[in-house]
Amino acid sequence: MGSVYKLTLRQLSGRWRLLITLLLTALPVIMGITWRLIEGDRFPDNDFQDVALNGMLAGVIIPLVTLAISSAAFSNEIEDRTLANLTLSPIPRWKIVVPKLLGALTVSGAFLVTSAFITSYIAFSGDLDAVLAVTAGAAISVALYSSLFVWTGLMTTRAIGYGLLYIFLWEGLFAGLVSGVRFLSLRHYSLTVMHRLDDRLFSTSEFLSTGVVTGAAVTVFVIFLALSIRRLRRMDVP
Amino acid sequence: MTNSETMNNSTGSSEAVIKVENVSRWFGNVVSVSDVSFEIKPGITGLLGPNGAGKTTLLRMITGLAAVSDGNITVFGESVRNNSSLYSRIGVMSEHETVYQFMKGRDFVKMMGELRGVHDLDNAVDKAIQLVDLADAAYRPMGTYSRGMRQRMRLAATLVHEPDILLLDEPLNGADPRQRVHFQNLLQSYADQGKTVVLSSHILEEVEQLADTVLLIVNGKLAASGDFHAIRAALNDRPYHVRVVSDSPRDLAAALVKLESIDAVNVEADGEIVVLSRNVRDLQIELPRLAKLADVRVRRVEPLDDSLESVFGYLVEG
Repeated sequence: MGSVYKLTLRQLSGRWRLLITLLLTALPVIMGITWRLIEGDRFPDNDFQDVALNGMLAGVIIPLVTLAISSAAFSNEIEDRTLANLTLSPIPRWKIVVPKLLGALTVSGAFLVTSAFITSYIAFSGDLDAVLAVTAGAAISVALYSSLFVWTGLMTTRAIGYGLLYIFLWEGLFAGLVSGVRFLSLRHYSLTVMHRLDDRLFSTSEFLSTGVVTGAAVTVFVIFLALSIRRLRRMDVP
Repeated sequence: MTNSETMNNSTGSSEAVIKVENVSRWFGNVVSVSDVSFEIKPGITGLLGPNGAGKTTLLRMITGLAAVSDGNITVFGESVRNNSSLYSRIGVMSEHETVYQFMKGRDFVKMMGELRGVHDLDNAVDKAIQLVDLADAAYRPMGTYSRGMRQRMRLAATLVHEPDILLLDEPLNGADPRQRVHFQNLLQSYADQGKTVVLSSHILEEVEQLADTVLLIVNGKLAASGDFHAIRAALNDRPYHVRVVSDSPRDLAAALVKLESIDAVNVEADGEIVVLSRNVRDLQIELPRLAKLADVRVRRVEPLDDSLESVFGYLVEG
């Protein structure tokens, strides 16, 4: 598995990809610094939490960056027709999918978790409970989106297009308008984790119970991982 | 009896390592491979056919990269699809020349060796790279390679685990004449060890130089299979148009028309002769002799319908 993991890290670490990722993940940090400069040393209010953490970090930056990185884990190999190098090896398919997913998680997680940590550290003046809550919520969000988008990259050559529709229509629009959709919203799972770890965060919102969110998150992660392995077993490899 | 039926009977009786039974593959309404059956034994087998005939689809199904729509394929008696353990005994080089541009050649071969569980990896990698004569370029990124070098490094990666079966799709694409000779020697020595080599090509001469056995694929069907020389003999017996340029076309035409195997001789307006022969071997032998007798100097002899399409068309029509 080490060979596939190292290959994936290298494939996903192109200069332009990393530069764009760096710029995107710097935006919440810049917003955190700006907020501190304007508001001074006080616990961020609901506006900051809604705009910077929910709207920008959990709603846009995390899903966009994981979409760009995770969907490329397989789709680049399919487009370049190099995937056969891996599938024509005497290793089970899960030993290809798992290191691909771990590679995507490593690259996107390195940027996004660091961004979440620095943003919350600056905005919450180093309040460790809040910082860890935001960082953990971001990490779980990265894992879930990565599992989903790795599968998307295997299913279609238009993974970015479908991914954007999902992010902006399902997570952005429907999950905000229709309360029932929250139960199937990865963004909501992420915010729930933040709130459950530090109840000062998003204190005016309603969240699912810890058990439900944990079960749902594990189920989503495992289902899309299993679907990716199944897809790689059944597809015609170009 | 058709030509294909005649030649299908020429297959020997040693044990087959690849068995293709009534295999078809269709994409929507388009049939790419239709009810094809054959067996492949150790030695070099050429999969020959014009572009778009279904060779690549067939090879992809044999390797397990693509599923069959109908029929059955076994390699060493086992179904190849979703049977990853078989790949420790199979080496596949696809027609696509794309490589990991950022990766050094040696790292690529090493990675493929790791994935295939090769023991004594470094020695195996060095040996494979030396086999394709690329030791000097082994530490350069493959993005800097020429097309021929990429092909050779891909071949090294295919050979690194010393597979019992080599499946090569259009392997000589991009190779210069020296590389072709090297490549041919390499495959021949591989086959001499009792291993199985299957290579596809749309170039008749390429397969002729390498393969003991030929599978002719036309329009997704097996048009003929068996010993290359039997197929070649059948090709020699077909009606053949040949253009002959000489310094005295009318004298040469008069001499040629007396040959029994010649159906027609036309002297064109530009002074060139177009000969229709039923036995091209006979024409090859008789033309120089007749020209010498008639004291005619032959400047050029050019087959007009030697394309694979016309050859296959003839074989399929039987």
